[in-house]
Amino acid sequence: MTDDSTLRDQTRRHFFQNCGVGIGRIALASLLAQQFGTARRASADDAASPIAPKPTHFPATAKRVIYLFMAGAPSQLDLFDNKPMLTKLEGKPLPPSVIKGQRYAFIQPDAAVLGPRFKFAKHGESGAEMSEPLKQLATVADEIAIARSVHTDLFNHSPAQLFFNTGSGIPGRPSMGSWLSYGIGSEADDLPSFVVLKSGGSLSGGASMWSSGFLPSTHQGVPFRSEGDPILHVSNPAGFDSQAQRDSLDLIRSLNEQRLDVIGDPEITTRINAYEMAYRMQTRAPELMDFSQETQATLNIYGAKPGDGKAAFANNCLLARRLAERGVRFIQVYHAGWDHHSNVEGGIRGQCAQTDRPCAALIKDLKQRGLLKDTLIVWGGEFGRTPMVESSAALGRSMGRDHHPQAFTMWFAGGGIKPGVTVGATDDLGFHVAERPIHVHDVQATILHCLGIDHEQLTFRTSGLDFRLTGVEEHAPVQEILA
Amino acid sequence: MKTTTSVLIAAFLSTASLTPQTFGSEGPSFARDIRPILASRCFPCHGPDEQHREGDLRLDERAAALDAGAIIPGKPDDSELIRRIFSTNPDERMPPPDAKEQLSERQKSLLRDWVLNGGDYEPHWAFIKPVRREPPTSKFDNRARNAIDRFVFARLAAEHLAPSPEADRYALVRRVYLDLIGLPPTPEEADAFVADSDPRAYENLVDRLLDSPQYGERWARVWLDLARYSDTNGYEKDRPRSIWPYRDWVIRALNTDMPYDQFTIEQLAGDMLPDATLDQRIATGFHRNTMLNEEGGIDPLEYRFYAMVDRVATTGTVWLGLTVNCAQCHTHKYDPIQHSEYYGLMALLNNADEPDLPIPDPTVVQQREQLLAQIDKLENDLVAAFPPLPSSEDKAATGPDSKPAATEAERREQNFNQSFARWLDQQRQAAVDWKVQWPTNLESNLPRLEVLDDGSIFSTGDITKRDVLTLTFDIAVDQLPITALRLEALPDDRLPAGGPGRAYYEGRKGDFFLSEVTAKLGDTPLQFASGSQSFGKISIGSGDARTANVFDGDGSTGWSTSGHEGEANQIVLNLKAPITAAGSLTIELLFERHFAASLGRFRISATSDDGTPAATTLPVDLEAALTSEGDLEAATREQLQRQYLRIAPELAAARRPIDALRNRMPDLPHTQIMHERPADNLRPTFRHHRGEYLSSRERVEPGIPAVFDDGSPPPTNRLEFARWLVSDHNPLAARVAVNRAWQAFFGNGLVATSDDFGTQANPPTHPELLDWLATEFVTDGWSQKRLHRLIVTSATYRQQSNVTPDLLERDPNNELLARGPRFRAPAETVRDIMLKASGLLSPKMFGPSVYPPQPASVTGLAYGSTKWNASTGEDRYRRSLYTFSKRTASFAAYTVFDAPTGESCVARRNRSNTPLQALTLLNDEMFLEMARALAADAVTQSGEPNVGSPDAAAIATNIFRRLLTRPPTDAELTAIIDYQKAQLDRLNGGQLKASEILAGKATKNSALEQRADQASWVMVTRVLMNLDETITHP
Repeated sequence: MTDDSTLRDQTRRHFFQNCGVGIGRIALASLLAQQFGTARRASADDAASPIAPKPTHFPATAKRVIYLFMAGAPSQLDLFDNKPMLTKLEGKPLPPSVIKGQRYAFIQPDAAVLGPRFKFAKHGESGAEMSEPLKQLATVADEIAIARSVHTDLFNHSPAQLFFNTGSGIPGRPSMGSWLSYGIGSEADDLPSFVVLKSGGSLSGGASMWSSGFLPSTHQGVPFRSEGDPILHVSNPAGFDSQAQRDSLDLIRSLNEQRLDVIGDPEITTRINAYEMAYRMQTRAPELMDFSQETQATLNIYGAKPGDGKAAFANNCLLARRLAERGVRFIQVYHAGWDHHSNVEGGIRGQCAQTDRPCAALIKDLKQRGLLKDTLIVWGGEFGRTPMVESSAALGRSMGRDHHPQAFTMWFAGGGIKPGVTVGATDDLGFHVAERPIHVHDVQATILHCLGIDHEQLTFRTSGLDFRLTGVEEHAPVQEILA
Repeated sequence: MKTTTSVLIAAFLSTASLTPQTFGSEGPSFARDIRPILASRCFPCHGPDEQHREGDLRLDERAAALDAGAIIPGKPDDSELIRRIFSTNPDERMPPPDAKEQLSERQKSLLRDWVLNGGDYEPHWAFIKPVRREPPTSKFDNRARNAIDRFVFARLAAEHLAPSPEADRYALVRRVYLDLIGLPPTPEEADAFVADSDPRAYENLVDRLLDSPQYGERWARVWLDLARYSDTNGYEKDRPRSIWPYRDWVIRALNTDMPYDQFTIEQLAGDMLPDATLDQRIATGFHRNTMLNEEGGIDPLEYRFYAMVDRVATTGTVWLGLTVNCAQCHTHKYDPIQHSEYYGLMALLNNADEPDLPIPDPTVVQQREQLLAQIDKLENDLVAAFPPLPSSEDKAATGPDSKPAATEAERREQNFNQSFARWLDQQRQAAVDWKVQWPTNLESNLPRLEVLDDGSIFSTGDITKRDVLTLTFDIAVDQLPITALRLEALPDDRLPAGGPGRAYYEGRKGDFFLSEVTAKLGDTPLQFASGSQSFGKISIGSGDARTANVFDGDGSTGWSTSGHEGEANQIVLNLKAPITAAGSLTIELLFERHFAASLGRFRISATSDDGTPAATTLPVDLEAALTSEGDLEAATREQLQRQYLRIAPELAAARRPIDALRNRMPDLPHTQIMHERPADNLRPTFRHHRGEYLSSRERVEPGIPAVFDDGSPPPTNRLEFARWLVSDHNPLAARVAVNRAWQAFFGNGLVATSDDFGTQANPPTHPELLDWLATEFVTDGWSQKRLHRLIVTSATYRQQSNVTPDLLERDPNNELLARGPRFRAPAETVRDIMLKASGLLSPKMFGPSVYPPQPASVTGLAYGSTKWNASTGEDRYRRSLYTFSKRTASFAAYTVFDAPTGESCVARRNRSNTPLQALTLLNDEMFLEMARALAADAVTQSGEPNVGSPDAAAIATNIFRRLLTRPPTDAELTAIIDYQKAQLDRLNGGQLKASEILAGKATKNSALEQRADQASWVMVTRVLMNLDETITHP
């Protein structure tokens, strides 16, 4: 018996206990019976996929998520959170009363203040404030909700990235995409429910960020590779054409079915179905990756250039849209390169050159295709950057900013999000949150909420605890950014 | 009484036992029926946790519940508990209407019946010592082979079920091979057993397998899941670590059947055993398998704390079967573990340093000795390579009186002697008379400093990103004046990479970074005018390592000797104004970097030299010898000469072979161990509010939770704790261990949650059997092999695993054991099955981990785009146990089959069944390589194939049996041969390219193109490798 079967039982119980309101219990029972397969002596056709869609706790406003994770932590002070006071104080240290014993990764607490490196302006009818390098995002200012008061518990990359993705700074917990796959399944039966795309430099959080942790590994994120097969082993081996593959799968199926007749173990049925889905993925993947179906105009708005590594983020944004169209539940687009310990000004310019246009294009393209209304887009890093300058002779650094967990900015768009609002504020130094603190777990609760999930109800029991993505403390969706 | 929403709610929790139990006149059973209800519905607010207790009422202790009037025995209607749960008043009702966990009508009536029957409590079964009961009898006793069967069959009889017939011999031999050694039998091995008419054939087979070296490899993998073994450090950088000697220790311990109590003690506290052996110290690697965060800028003590958290949790899982980890942040909601008791357990484990242990591997030691001898000889011979003086013949031509021309050898010697004398003279001129200063007082922010016999200072204990070491010296009148100070950074084998620094993450091991040196005499600060160094280089970053960096007032600049780990170096600091008065000299050393990098061993000296004393590259004893009056001793002169030979520019070319030999010098293998800290430097442990690193509160003494207090002296340190864990005083260790063994053989434990035997866990399916096995295990000397033998020779284990629709409906998870176990093999076994079937499997045991082939993109995705250089030769085909395990990019073909990634202790793997597994087995080149080898072997063994002839059937059967053990049925054989014929037609017809299938890539090899038959069998093999049965314990 697989753990999936236990899970099905648990989930079934859960929905019987908690999801009765508004749906006749008998109707629900039969619905679940279809999904989970009650017939124990199952034939090959009715054993359900563990990632088949499942009911939500309440009506969802978004069906899928594209999470643009800006790994390395962009400087909010040079992009969204304009602090003229820092210019006035430039060169002077902050008083210890502000710093309050915060530990830093690299700088000493008495480091001098560094003013914003760019001019800011207000954009759109909403008057959202952004800095000069965000030229393209400024054109969709009225489509996004900006949160300037996000804070986190961790101040090093790997733990902080894990914290955003798994709710814990220590590797080993299930990631958000895995929780979603486990909780509400996927709408795609020929692609994984949780896909990971990556561009830029190395990712500190690594594979733990798409791990299924203690959830069944079915819910693991599937990274698309930039070299070789996009999905590992999705291509046939050398020498095998599609008919050879089909013939082989037919024989595998026939032999498995013969064995099923003798042994009667439903696990064999599950395996037969897994091979069929594998074949569907093999068929689907080449079509998915084929950008020749896109018009030049579409390629242009993203700045996408198939096969060009310099346009990797733009290509990934376009691929994200294609994955969204095909029903993938959680599309994680990582872009690493924002860790500007030195020359934050040049760093920001460089990263915006790669990412500003594709981000804005994704919003426009999804909107034009009618997909924005039920696709949630999230943009943000793992923490913010200090109002103080980083410089170090040993490391050869100057005019940079160190890690800052106390306050930083994220933006949201699409399904369930109230467009054109700016929520929360920091103090005059951009150091602490002054209004509407938003914890990482609140961000996670917000994302789950948009997908129709009560973050306190999505739990899994292991090691004696009922774990959830959002930890044990009180957290809640950020109502101010919800439509 | 109100539930807080922040409490983790058991949304999916089921406490239902397999079949509804009926109870007799004594009412519901507390342990079986009542405690699970109380634990999940009531204890969160009325349980052991004081912080979250509502209304000052606790229901986990009977006396308290009685005192409060919550329970009045025999009078449910007067009992507040019963009144409240049946109340219709929302202000009174319990659990409160907004609580997520409500009571069912059945649960309410159970509680009522229980109070009516006296409301008795009993301790949780797992906290009572196992009781050995006589195995029961049943109508199936004639089929019982040992005590296990009598327990299992009695339960089956009570459930009106019957055991299944014994599995056929092919299934049996395959099952017991896979279970005991993790490899399938070859067809010959299987046939030998099938044909063996000895009534003890099966038992004999079991004994052979238990004696096989592969037994230790198979069971080591199970233990390594618990040990969270990995070959890398985890987190961002996830660099390699060397701890495979620990893995090898586990294999050997299992193969020699080391008793489980000893196995435990050596792993937890082998270093503390009297006269600990090398092996016992290697064994302590168990708790060094925690992750190490090497990201720049982290707080190293924070991640050490998380490693401790992991150690407590792992110890709890492995030896207590308890979710001790739940008490990290607050008192356990359900089990009797107080918040402070959690830190008491941590304190037991928290007093060790964590060094690397070099292992004097005899082969490596010998290689080193040989190389050193060669180097010594070559250095001796260097004089002979010294250039001779120009020939005197030229001069001879100018004067008839000149002596006979000197031979080349003579001129060579002459030149050497002259050059050496010049150099020696220079050295003598520069030599400074240094006096080692013995500190009178040592202070630091955290590390423990001690003075060694040579006046050097040695640092142990914990270090931070900003270490300040303050040294005090008494300067006596006879030392005056002091014109300069010297700081030597000294190597020491006890330090990482031999020192001199203590850096152990992010930077180079053994590195240091001296930011600032400040000195004062009394209260008067001393100024440095200049400085010099023997060598300086920093790692990470573009900065320089000038001596002046240590007195420039900038903490971000400094001195370091990166790349010269294991060597001594020095800086000399010249005072602006000499010290001319006696007094107390205070020297403060600041080490400030984005990683912890203070010095591990160093020494301070002073001089009165009135020149400009400077640092030297000469060893300090030679420099000292040069400052003394009179002739040099012969030995000293010899050493100086050797020193000169090593640096003389004239010999640069001649020394190249020596440098090459030095580069070939193999390092000793090393492994990570625990080393108990001395009594004068115990590491204090504190309670951490909400489990947060930064919120430490009162100090906590080592100790075990009160629930285990049986009046015997409690353990106070790691060794005593290890001994306690496997003593009679711990009711859990044996139960938890036998349950895990049961799980490995049957797919599920008798307690399904093999990591949780607490009050929230479902009770054992066969409690008496569990206790019987636990007591048998202990009585039998904690022998794991005998335990395994007992299980696999039972009739229960030997049943066939066919599932009838009735049985599937009645007992889908086979908890009642009316049939044999059938489950998909663990990830490593999946590959090992294919390796053995293909004939490629290497029998090589032990040593550093190896790299079977996988796509470059797997590790290409990891931080730093790590390269995966696939092993060649037999290392490519070693058992999967030996595959290099990288935490952030674990071997893809294992992860997809649910292998753990070593991030935390895993007592029970998931067993999923997914499309990605299908893609891996179908298309991963690693498996194709095995398919090609298997097919080639089978074709060779079965003679030249002619389609449709008996040979095709023979080949097909051969391939089938290597992978599945049993012979194919006629229908299976027909289907396979039909497929093979069809593919052969396509191959012969040019629709498929045999060469590509056989080479694994496009190739112009026309010989391969002729092997269509062979290619068709590769295709057959690939199909058979993908059958459910191939990767399943039958």
